[in-house]
Formats: sequence, C-alpha cells, structure tokens
Amino acid sequence: MNIFLLYVILLKAAATSFAGLAALPAVHDALITHYHVLTEQQLNEAIVITRSTPGAVGLFIVSVGYFVSRWPGALAGWLAMITPALTIIPILHYAGRRVEHPRVKTVLQSVVIASAALLFAAAIPLGRDALTDPLTMTIATISLALLLMTKIETFWILLGGASVTLIASAIGAINKIS
Amino acid sequence: MPIKNPMTHAIEEPRRPHPTLSQIASLFIRHANFTMGGGSLTAAAIHQQLVEKRHWVSQDDFTLCFALARLIPGTNLLAFCTGLGWVLQRVPGAITALLAASLPCALMVVALTILFDAWRDNLLFNEALRGAMAGAVALTIKTAWIIARPHARKAECLRLIGIGLAAFTLYVFLKIPAIEVLLLAGLLGVFLPPVKA
Repeated sequence: MNIFLLYVILLKAAATSFAGLAALPAVHDALITHYHVLTEQQLNEAIVITRSTPGAVGLFIVSVGYFVSRWPGALAGWLAMITPALTIIPILHYAGRRVEHPRVKTVLQSVVIASAALLFAAAIPLGRDALTDPLTMTIATISLALLLMTKIETFWILLGGASVTLIASAIGAINKIS
Repeated sequence: MPIKNPMTHAIEEPRRPHPTLSQIASLFIRHANFTMGGGSLTAAAIHQQLVEKRHWVSQDDFTLCFALARLIPGTNLLAFCTGLGWVLQRVPGAITALLAASLPCALMVVALTILFDAWRDNLLFNEALRGAMAGAVALTIKTAWIIARPHARKAECLRLIGIGLAAFTLYVFLKIPAIEVLLLAGLLGVFLPPVKA
C-alpha cells in the first residue's frame, strides 16, 4: 500500500478521535473493510501490543502501520499519531482560554459520545474474531468485569488471559496423550 | 508561587528557569514514555516534575495545557506534552517534547509488533495470544464506556442515549463510514443547547 495513502488514512482516523482507541472504527473501515490490507486478528494484536507496553493507547496505529507496510508503515503510523498534537501550538498561541466556550464544548461532546458508540460497535467484529469458544468468551467476560470494577493494570489482565489459554491448551495436550 | 514586588506593590509571577532543549527532551523521555497506567498517571508524573519539583511551568499554564489537550483530537497525552514544550521553549520546545514523548514508546511498540509477527506460527504463542485477544475485546468495550461515562450524568443522559444510539445505528445498520458519523455528530452539536460549563 502507498505510504502516503496509509498516512492519510491513519491521520484521518487519529484526527477524528478524542481518545486512544476511538480511532479504531475508522481504521477498521479503511484498512480492513475497504482496502483489505489488515486483518481483524492483526487489529486485535495491535491493541494487545499497545497495552503491553508503556505509553499512550493511540500508539496502536504505529503497530497497525507496521502490519500493513513494515518500517515505512510504522513511520506513517507514528507521523499520523503525532500530527494532530501539533494543533495545540496555534491554539495556545492565538486562542488560549477562549477555546473553553460552551458552544465548542457542545460540539465536542456530541463527537465524543458518537465516538464512544462507534468504539462499542467496533468491538463487535473484533469479538467475532477473538471469541471463538466458551473459554475465550469467559475470559472476555471476566476481563471486562475486572476492568470495570477493579484498578488492576490492563497489562496484568491481558497476561492473565494469555496464561489461562496457555494452561488450558497444555492440559488439553496432556489429556490427549494420556 | 506569586510574590509581591516591594517597590510597586504589584503581585508578580516569579521568574522561572528556562530549561535547555536537551533538558526538556530528557524529562519527557523519562516521564512520558515509561509510565504504565495511562494518560492521567503520566500527567501526574509530569506535573510532579515540571510544576512541583523544577518550577519550570506555573500551575495555571499546566492546567491550561491539560484542558486544551483534551479538546484536541488524537492522542491527548501527546498534545499535552507538546503544549508544555511550547510553554517552555516555544516551537523548538514543543517539537522536542513531542518527539521525546512519542518516539521511544513508538519504537517499543514496533519492536513488540516484530516479535508478534515472527512468532505467529508458534503454537504456544498462538494459544497465549487467544486469551490476550479475548482480554483486548473487553478492553475495547471498557474504553467505550470510559469515553461515554462523563456524559452519563442525569442532565445529559438523554443526550448520551440519543446520540449514542443514532451513531451506533448509522454505523452498524446503515453502514455509514465512521468519519461521516463523527462529522454528523459534530454538526448536530452546533444545534443542541450548550453544555453547562
């Protein structure tokens, strides 16, 4: 895939989202549904990778970029991730405290609510790809409960899920042998 | 802390030290890349360093950057660091802070992505990945809730349900692209009663 096009797609996704993973539906639309250069599994892996390292959640587009076009793709993803941040310079310089206007806040609130709904919708195809048996469904349910009700780090929850399937697979293999 | 000038009796902000670009880079490399626990924890670590310990940035400037960064699309944390860099050393400071806050963690992500790619055919790795990906689905749902939760207050609950359901329907059932749904939501926001500040 053309690197400039990849940069534009990822930039469009990043520039229309107001939270790390909120760019996910736009990335899904463009790279999985439209261009077929990314799979559901790779997108899911990108989320796992980003939550297994320190730093911002929005870094998942760097991982997505790498999956699509290796190092040039990662560079496009990184540039797409950092470009919107530069808009704070003119805003600080020219607008400063005036940006806190109620009308601006109302527009942003509508966009933020819509992006939450889109993110929830994006979880449906990801779930269809990842939750393939009772074990993975149970892991997802317990993980969601832990994420909502406790302060356990995401990294440990992902590691816990990985350990459960690994142990279950080992037990299954031992049972087959015996 | 503001001080009173004995000659003019005016309240003045104390002169703040001007850090060099390498000092800015060093601070953001250490505190914006290696803090686990998300943006708010990183912001707390940066506040401790910039405002409390080194007095490079005033509390007002810190708060302004934090608030404005939340209004900027994309990764809020990067906009926040860029804003603080601008306060410290204008454009060179902003670019330095942005690079320092994004490059090391991006390289870590690429390194891990390469490992994931290399181990894709490994049976044990695939089994572990199955469980981790189930957790990632839960994380995506939780993030949707985290984004929506501040708008779930009684006065705004109807707005949350209305816009949320409309966006979900347009995207899932009418197959309208995500970006167009977001633009429609922004347009709708122009006509809705303003949010109480």
